[in-house]
Amino acid sequence: MIILINNPKSAHQVYATPPGDLAIWFFIFAELLAFGIFFAAYAFARAHNIALFDASQQHLSRTSGAINTLVLITSSYFVVRAVAAIKQGYSNQCARWIGAAIGFGAIFLAIKSFEFYGKFSSGITLSTNTFYMFYLSLTIFHFMHVILGMLILAAVMLKARRGGYSAENHTGVETGASYWHMVDLLWIILFPLIYVIH
Amino acid sequence: MNETFTKAMARNIFYGGAVFFFLLFLALTFDTVQTLPKRDHRENITDSVVRGKHIWETRDCIGCHTLLGEGAYFAPELGNVYKRRGGDFIKMWIKGQPTGAPGRRQMPQFDLNDQQLDDMVAFLKWTSEINTNNWPPNIEG
Amino acid sequence: MQYKSQAVAKPYFIAAIGLFLGQILFGLIMGYQYVVGDFLFPAIPFNVARMVHTNLLIVWILFGFMGSAYYLIPEEAETELFSPKLAWLMFWVFLVAGALTIVGYLTVPYATLASMTGNDILATMGREFLEQPLPTKVGIVIVALVFLFNISMTVLKGRKTSISLVLLLGLWGLAIFFLFSFYNPSNLVLDKYFWWWTVHLWVEGVWELILGAMLAFVLIKITGVDREVIEKWLYIIIAMTLITGIIGTGHHYFWIGTPEYWQWFGSVFSALEPIPFFMMTVFAFNMVNRRRREHPNKAATLWALGTGVMSFLGAGVWGFLHTLAPVNFYTHGTQITAAHGHMAFYGAYVMVNLTMISYAMPMLRGRSANSRSSQVMEMWAFWLMTISIVCITLFLTAAGILQIWLQRMGTSPMSFMDAQDQIRIFYWAREFSGLVFLVGLVLYIWSFFFKNSEAQAAE
Repeated sequence: MIILINNPKSAHQVYATPPGDLAIWFFIFAELLAFGIFFAAYAFARAHNIALFDASQQHLSRTSGAINTLVLITSSYFVVRAVAAIKQGYSNQCARWIGAAIGFGAIFLAIKSFEFYGKFSSGITLSTNTFYMFYLSLTIFHFMHVILGMLILAAVMLKARRGGYSAENHTGVETGASYWHMVDLLWIILFPLIYVIH
Repeated sequence: MNETFTKAMARNIFYGGAVFFFLLFLALTFDTVQTLPKRDHRENITDSVVRGKHIWETRDCIGCHTLLGEGAYFAPELGNVYKRRGGDFIKMWIKGQPTGAPGRRQMPQFDLNDQQLDDMVAFLKWTSEINTNNWPPNIEG
Repeated sequence: MQYKSQAVAKPYFIAAIGLFLGQILFGLIMGYQYVVGDFLFPAIPFNVARMVHTNLLIVWILFGFMGSAYYLIPEEAETELFSPKLAWLMFWVFLVAGALTIVGYLTVPYATLASMTGNDILATMGREFLEQPLPTKVGIVIVALVFLFNISMTVLKGRKTSISLVLLLGLWGLAIFFLFSFYNPSNLVLDKYFWWWTVHLWVEGVWELILGAMLAFVLIKITGVDREVIEKWLYIIIAMTLITGIIGTGHHYFWIGTPEYWQWFGSVFSALEPIPFFMMTVFAFNMVNRRRREHPNKAATLWALGTGVMSFLGAGVWGFLHTLAPVNFYTHGTQITAAHGHMAFYGAYVMVNLTMISYAMPMLRGRSANSRSSQVMEMWAFWLMTISIVCITLFLTAAGILQIWLQRMGTSPMSFMDAQDQIRIFYWAREFSGLVFLVGLVLYIWSFFFKNSEAQAAE
């Protein structure tokens, strides 16, 4: 977990650890691995049944997927602003930016729920076909991660509002931000992979 | 080295991760239970099948055989035995045990009556019709 | 030993080792029946021997867990046990119930045992590993609850460390998931689905929390490494265990009638299951390398390191070998499963119990470590048992590969028994390895009876 970097400011500090608590990076590592294998499995399964995958893919709403991509990237930007704010010691600003990120997370969930509602009411389940198995598994799995990410951000926001972080000590904010960026990153891979590429 | 790695965060990840993945497991279980009726043909579970399963259990058949691949590996797979041998052979086989062939693996005599033998076959027939994603690879099990 | 009430762990450990010996003897009977089929028939048919073999394993490991908890909890909580009397009472209840069950298996036909013990009222018997009669199952629940009450109260009145919290969580999980053994629907698919909630969520779930806590405790004691460091790694490792292991249950849901998507979920998550085991190995070696004291009990250190390595090989590597659905399609229900089962159980749960016993027994007998000669004997036992289990695993793996080749591949597959006849040589080799294992176990037991004058002088 130690990354070798070139830091011109302090010659003696050659090693840097990733931002936030190292513990979250074990979690992020495991999650990326699980998603990564799932993505690879998707590619593998698709290669064996391109016609089915392409035909089923036509029924997905790319517009809502694209909007959701923008929503998540925006919320990630807010989280970046929150980290920048706390580095200056502005607790309230930090909490507000995180609140905005959570709000955008909620928008993502709303749009996604609407999409799921359409799929479920037309009788699509995990057992409909292999494409829908992957589509539902990966998007629901990701959906749950958005909820978890929002819970983590909410905990960080509450602590920030109480003044629990400072310019010197803000590991918690970076930890939450790291996790949220991962959730965002996963969607950025997931969206083109499942909705677009054919 | 400015490393932050706290026990509190490790603990949170443990609790959070465990709850998260258990919830996912519950969601998948819910879907599985909803989907099963299409795969296990439960409409064919007659009283005879139920009695047959009870006989299967109370003779500890699983202590030597596998059923859908689970059990002991001492004697043949029985999930598809109905398709491999048919009902009459199964009854004859159970009645004919033990073979007493020296040095060969022996199956006990369970003294099942005709009704019990029919129940046993009914259970194995129903089991052979479960959708197992085409397992076993061939009829030998 | 810092607290008087820790002494109650001793009978639990002695019972565990005694039952372990019984388990191995019945294993040898079964191994011989694999090659000489009518050995001891009809006195002890194979299925009866197997029930005794697997049930003794479960019971002695539970004895080990309980003894370890009684030793570990007072020391972690820094207080006497809530009630040593209750612990003694439960010891006898569990031992008598266990012994009666085994006697029942061996003396009464299973069907008669079932009707004698109320199986017609609530049918729970006759499913792999859960063969116990209803009264025994109820007894296990009662013993577990009284035991949990006892140690939970101890923790509540004392210091609450992460190790005791993780141990408690694991033990409570053990009791809760055992309740699924009472659920036996007449639909075989549902039966199998929830049967795994006891079996898989025990061995690849909550038991690993118990294992982690026990290993962490011993590592703190023998290495003197800072508790903070060990406890945070403990959390990370068991987090990985549950993240991968809970959905990893799916690797049992490939071919039992459950939906096809389990092949993907089961394969993906169980492919990650070796990670926590690998971390555990690295963790154990790291802590021993960073040790701040030279503990006189070298044997316990060896067991602790052995647990790390062997659980990774047995559960991690041998599990991964046949966990991917396309592979498992051919290996499911063959000797490959038996190979994995033997090394995983030995590497994880046998060895962690022996680690704890190796560390705690000298303490319980009033010395920090056994004499040099006794430890040398114990280490011989370690190597004999470990090497022979590796051999058993390799021979069974070879048998399994050949079995698959003959019985499941090609256009004219052999029948089961014809294939078995072709692989007898590996079963002979396995039986021989089993005898070496028995020698190792006898040496292990013998090492407890050494004179320990020099160690006592050092104390």
